[in-house]
Amino acid sequence: MAIDPNIVELINADIDGEISPADKEMLAAMMADSPEARAMHAELSGLSSSLDELPDLDAPPYLIHTIMAQIPKPESQGRRGDFLRGLFAAPALRYAAMFAAGSVLTLSLVSSDQVSERAFSDVTGLVGTISSEVPVGPGIQTMQIDRTDVAGHITLRSSGPLLIVDFDLVSNGPIDIVASYSDQSVWFNGFAQLESPGASISAESGRISMKIDGKRRYALYLHNPGDRNVSINLRFMSDGEVVYDTEVQYAQPGQPG
Amino acid sequence: MKGDRHAFEALLVRYQKPVYNAAYRMLNNAEDARDVTQTVFLKVYENLDQYDPSHRFFSWIYRIAMNESINWLKKSSRQEALEHETADQGDGPEQQAGDVQLGEGMEAALMMIKSEYRAVIILKHVLGCSYIEISEALDIPEKTVKSRLFTGRQLLQERLTQQGLH
Repeated sequence: MAIDPNIVELINADIDGEISPADKEMLAAMMADSPEARAMHAELSGLSSSLDELPDLDAPPYLIHTIMAQIPKPESQGRRGDFLRGLFAAPALRYAAMFAAGSVLTLSLVSSDQVSERAFSDVTGLVGTISSEVPVGPGIQTMQIDRTDVAGHITLRSSGPLLIVDFDLVSNGPIDIVASYSDQSVWFNGFAQLESPGASISAESGRISMKIDGKRRYALYLHNPGDRNVSINLRFMSDGEVVYDTEVQYAQPGQPG
Repeated sequence: MKGDRHAFEALLVRYQKPVYNAAYRMLNNAEDARDVTQTVFLKVYENLDQYDPSHRFFSWIYRIAMNESINWLKKSSRQEALEHETADQGDGPEQQAGDVQLGEGMEAALMMIKSEYRAVIILKHVLGCSYIEISEALDIPEKTVKSRLFTGRQLLQERLTQQGLH
């Protein structure tokens, strides 16, 4: 038997918590005489409970930073400049340029899925020489950073003698990243920036400094000719204060890190 | 508030979770939900001067979230496939497209009903809005909210029954 539309409306209002006390009383009286109405009420209540129990999901931890990084910052306008101009202003770039002139990097931006599927069209700055593509393996180590001042992912990869550290980060303001390693046989081999303009980098023996402000995707290339175990300390600093300190480690296949 | 990063960040902290949840339930895809959430807040920032204070602020944000989610669905190929399959079915439940992998249960059933019904159900059951708040968020009469909720639940019930889940 079809249920009176007025009862159906009251049942829905009751389930939604939008029924007046008088209507609720009237509904109770109507349902007392209608098994169909009681069945509908029970069925809709069950469905409603199932919907209410859908899990409450957390937004991705770095979503706020990603959004804030896209909000215009008046004070940052002056800092945005041509990438290469900024890059060559760094005193230690001579080191990179000299090295790049004397060696050929057989590295691939294309096959690094962390870097980008859009590959070279995204590269806004580059130090080094790319001659041909070589396969880049999966991440050896990936870490997630979720701090109020900086958030995102860092992934360490390897390809032959190359170690590649991918940075996919957003920051609330200027952050200096210092990557340091004690093994003097490891060389700074190149640097690539994707998507965003306005990077700065400097390199000296065993120590590479980068600056981020907002959303940045960097790839740092180190030459590890002896396939040695390497630990790279990553220090994040804001206004000279260390806000985060971590380490990525490469171990020869089959050896502990 | 436009130009005030701190005020906007506070708003972001307050609303990112409900907006993300709404987008996720509309799209059933975490990456799409993240992208839509970003778009929503950038639009909020850009259009703060268009906000009508006679309406609740969250209704305005939820309206942008729902519109963006529906736009996203329209743009995505899977929605085109769904619409193609259901073109002659009037108000009936949307059918699963052959190349779309849908999970089981309530989340999958939600994706099988039309987005106009899904939107009211999400606003009601995920975001906890009242009839009047849904009416404001979707800019539809309260009576339409009630009828869409009723129809949407019926369709959902049918889909769950077909799957042997309810």
